[in-house]
Amino acid sequence: MTRRIVLGLFKDFDQAFAAIAEIREHKVPGVSVDDVILKSPIEHPEVEEVLGERPAHVPKFTLAGAIFGMTFGFLFLASAQATFLVQPQGGKPVVPLPSNFVLTYEMLILFGVLFTLVSFIVGAGLFRRRPPLYSEMISLDQVGVMLEVEEEQAEALKELFRRHKVVEIREEAVR
Amino acid sequence: MQTKDINEQIAWAKINKDVLRSMENPRSGYWIAVGICVAMVLVAILAEIYQYNAGLGVGNLNWPHMWDLYIATFIFWIGMSHSGTLLSAILHIVHADWRKPIYRFAEAMTTFSLMTAALFPVLHLGRVWNMYWVLPYVSDRGLWPNFRSPLIWDAFAIFTYLTSSALFLYVGMIPDLAICRDNAHGWRRKLYTVLSLGWAGTDRQWRHFRKAYLLMACFLIPLAVSVHSIVSSDFAMSIMPGWHVTTFPPYFVAGALYSGCAAIITLFVLLRYFFRFEEYMTIPILEKTVKLTFAIAMVWSYLWIIEFLAAWYGGHKADVEILVSKFTGPYSPFFITMIFCGTVLPFTLAFERLRRHLPTMFVVSLLFNLGMWLERWMIVTPTLAQAYHPFAWNVMWPSVVQWAIVFGSFGWFGLLFLVFVKIFPSVSMYEVKEMVYHRRRHVVEELAVKYHRRAGDPQPVTDNPGT
Amino acid sequence: MSLKNLLENWSRYRRGHEQGGYHDYEHMWAMVIDLDKCIGCNACSVACYAENNLAVVGEERFARNQAMHWMRIERYWDEPDLERAGKLEHGEYQQYGASFLPMNCQQCNAATCEPVCPVAATYHTPDGLNAQVYNRCIGSRYCSNNCPYRLRFFNFWSYYETSWPKPLDMQLNPDLTVRDKGVMEKCTFCVQRIRAAKDKAAREGRKVRDGEFQTACQQTCPTTAIVFGDLLDPESQVSRMWRYYEVELGKTEQHKRHPERRGYRIMEELNTDPCILFLERVREV
Repeated sequence: MTRRIVLGLFKDFDQAFAAIAEIREHKVPGVSVDDVILKSPIEHPEVEEVLGERPAHVPKFTLAGAIFGMTFGFLFLASAQATFLVQPQGGKPVVPLPSNFVLTYEMLILFGVLFTLVSFIVGAGLFRRRPPLYSEMISLDQVGVMLEVEEEQAEALKELFRRHKVVEIREEAVR
Repeated sequence: MQTKDINEQIAWAKINKDVLRSMENPRSGYWIAVGICVAMVLVAILAEIYQYNAGLGVGNLNWPHMWDLYIATFIFWIGMSHSGTLLSAILHIVHADWRKPIYRFAEAMTTFSLMTAALFPVLHLGRVWNMYWVLPYVSDRGLWPNFRSPLIWDAFAIFTYLTSSALFLYVGMIPDLAICRDNAHGWRRKLYTVLSLGWAGTDRQWRHFRKAYLLMACFLIPLAVSVHSIVSSDFAMSIMPGWHVTTFPPYFVAGALYSGCAAIITLFVLLRYFFRFEEYMTIPILEKTVKLTFAIAMVWSYLWIIEFLAAWYGGHKADVEILVSKFTGPYSPFFITMIFCGTVLPFTLAFERLRRHLPTMFVVSLLFNLGMWLERWMIVTPTLAQAYHPFAWNVMWPSVVQWAIVFGSFGWFGLLFLVFVKIFPSVSMYEVKEMVYHRRRHVVEELAVKYHRRAGDPQPVTDNPGT
Repeated sequence: MSLKNLLENWSRYRRGHEQGGYHDYEHMWAMVIDLDKCIGCNACSVACYAENNLAVVGEERFARNQAMHWMRIERYWDEPDLERAGKLEHGEYQQYGASFLPMNCQQCNAATCEPVCPVAATYHTPDGLNAQVYNRCIGSRYCSNNCPYRLRFFNFWSYYETSWPKPLDMQLNPDLTVRDKGVMEKCTFCVQRIRAAKDKAAREGRKVRDGEFQTACQQTCPTTAIVFGDLLDPESQVSRMWRYYEVELGKTEQHKRHPERRGYRIMEELNTDPCILFLERVREV
C-alpha cells in the first residue's frame, strides 16, 4: 500500500478554496478536508472558514512564559539580594520591592517573548527538513493545496484539481 | 495628488521583483556610503583606543562633569530605537495596514540603534575591561550586581529590548526570507535556507505565525515604554535638581517616539529615493507618518513645558536656578536651538504642501533629531554643571575625543543599516501582498474611477492582472 | 535554601533606614567641624594627601577640575544671609574675611551614592562608614553624579605615573593602595587608622577608646576645629558635642530646644543623614 503526496498549484485563493470546498463535500472518497495542507504566499484572512478551526497553542505558552519569567525573576533577584548582605543599601531595605518590580517586569516580558518564539517554532513545525513538494511559486503568487492520499485516490484528486483550473500538479511517492 | 496608500493593482510577482532587486547589485554609491561609514567607525575606534589607554580624562570629563556626551548620545540612540518597534507593534495591533511597507526598515532601525546605544554605557566606563560585572552571574565570592541601581535596570532593559525587538524583526521576516531563499543563488541561498527555518507557507505555519507575531507585538508595546522609562530613571531616580523629575518617564518616552519617527522619515526618504520604492513608500504613507510625528512633537513639547512649569511652580531653589541657567547660562544657545528644532520647527508639518515635499521632510526630520540629541545633552550637562553644591559649579566643553566617538556611532549605525538593506528585504514583501490583497477586495473600480480618484493617483488597470 | 532564607528573614530584609535598617552598627564614626575655629589653612587637605596616597595631579589637570582632594577647604566671599538681613552692603564682603568650609565625605547613613552603584562597589560598613571598594569599581561614575555634596573623585588618568617621581614614591603610605585610572575614590575617615585601632583593641580584648586614634585631618588641624569619634559611645567627645548641639542622626530636620546652639548638618533635608556636624561661624557684624 503506497501513499502519494499531491500538490496542486492554483492561480488564486478563490480557485484553491473552491477545490477545498469540494474535498469537504467528499467528492474524492476517503479524503478528508482535515488532511488538506494549504500553502500560500500570505495568510488568507478567512482561512478558518475554509479549512475549519485548527489549533494553535501559542498563547498558552506565552502565558506560561510570562508567569515563569515573573516568578523566576522575582525569586532570583530576591534570593540573590538576601544572600548578599554587604550590598549597598543607601537606607533602603535588603530586598527593595520597587526596584525588584522593575526588573521582574522585564523578566516577565523577556521570558514571555522567548516562550512565544519557541512555541511558534515548535508549533509551526519549523527547524525541520522542508516538507516534500515545495514549489517556489508559493512564495511568489500561487496557492497550493497539498494532500497525502492513497495511491488509488490520487487520480481522482488530480481530476478534482483540474476541474478548478489548477496551474500545475506535482506528486511524489511517500518514502 | 496621490491619495491612495498603495496602488492595489500591483501584481504580487512585481512586489517580489522590486524588493529583491533592491537587495542586489550594489551600485558604486552604496560602496562609497559603506566606505564613509567605515571611516567614521575607525575614527571612533581610534578615539576609544586612546581613551582606553589614557583614561577618561582625555574626553575632558572632570569633576563634577562625570557624564557628558556619552550618556547623552546613549539616550539619543535608545530613544531612536523606540519608534520602529513600538509603532510597528501598535499599528499591527490596531490593523493600520499602511504600516506594512515601512515597518521592516523601521524595526531594523530599532535593532541597530539599540546596538549602537548599548556601546555607550560600556565605553563610558572607567574600567571597560570589567564591564561584565554588571551581569547577574553566580560568582564564588557571592557577589551580585546592585539591583537597586538604575544602571542595572538599564542593562536588563536593554538586554530584554534588544532580544525582543531583534526577534520581532526576525520572526516578521521569516516568510520574506523564504521568498529570498527561493530566488537566491550561491552563498545567499545557503544563508536564507538556514534563516528561513524551512518556511513553506503552510496554513499551520501561518496560523502559528499570526498568533506568535501578535503576542510579540503585545509584549513589545509595554516593553518599549518601560525601557525608556527605565533609561529616564537614570536621572529621575537620582537626587539631583533638574534630574529628579517625576515627569521624566513619559517625557523620555515621548522624546524617544519623536526622534524615532523623525528617523523613520529620514530613512523613508533615503530608501524611497535610492531603491526606487516610489510604489510602496508612497507620499500618503509619508504623510501619515508625518502627522503622527507632529502629534508626538506636540506631546513632547507639552511635557517639557510642564517639566519647567513644575520647577517654577515648585520653587525649589536649586531646580529654579538650573532652569534659569538653561535659558541664560553658558549652554543656552544649545538649549534654545533644542526648543526651536523640537517645538517650533514641527509646525512646518502643519502644511500639506510641506508634508508631501520629500526634500523638506528630509531636512526637517534631520533637524528634529538634532534637536532631540541636544535635548539629551541639555538634560545631562546643565545639572552636572550646576547642582546643589555651588562650590562644584563648573562649565565643561567636551573634547575632540568625545565628539569623535559620538560621530563614529553614526557611522556604526549607518554601516549596520547599509549591510541590512543589502542582505534583508527592507520592505516586507508578504505584508505588502496582504495589503494589496485586502485593498483589492474592497475596491469598487468604477467608483474609484468616477469619484475617488484625484489627479496623480495611479491609473486603474482595466484588465485584472491576477493575484 | 535561598528561598528558605528569604522566607525566614523576610521582615528583617524589608527594614529600611527609617526602621533601623538591616545593619546592627558596631560603631558610628562621626565628626564635628567647628567652622568658627577653621582658619582656612588647608593643613587638613595636605595631611589627607599625605595619609591617603592622593595623587598630585599637576597644574594643568587641576585647572581642568580633575584633582583628587578628598578633603577640601571651600572658600566663600559672599554672605548672602547677612546681606539679606541688611547687615552688610553688597560688595562689602572682603573686609570681613572669607568663610571657609572644609568638606570631606559626609559618610551619609542613607547615602545617595550607594543605591546607584551598578556593581555594589560602594556600600555601608557595620562601622557606619560609607566604604568604597576600589577593586570592585568599574567607573560608571553614577555615585559622584548622585552625591549632592560632590565629594567623590574619579581617577580620570593613571595619576600614579606622574604623581610621585622617584624618590617621592618612598613617601607613599603602605597601609593603603595607590589607585589606577578608572576608579572612584573619596574620604574614608582614614579607614586604615580605624582598622589598626580596632585590631589593637581586639588583641587587647577591650573596646576602642575615644581619642585612641585620630584622622589625618583632625591630627593636623592647628586649631582643633575637627573632632572625630564614635557616636555609639555615649561618653565620646563627638557624642557629647552632638548632644549639646541637639543634632540627631536619622532626622531630616532638627527641632532644637536651644536654637542659639549652632550645629547643623549640610543638606540634611535631602534625607542623606550625614555624619558630619558643622558648627556655624559666628560673625561680628
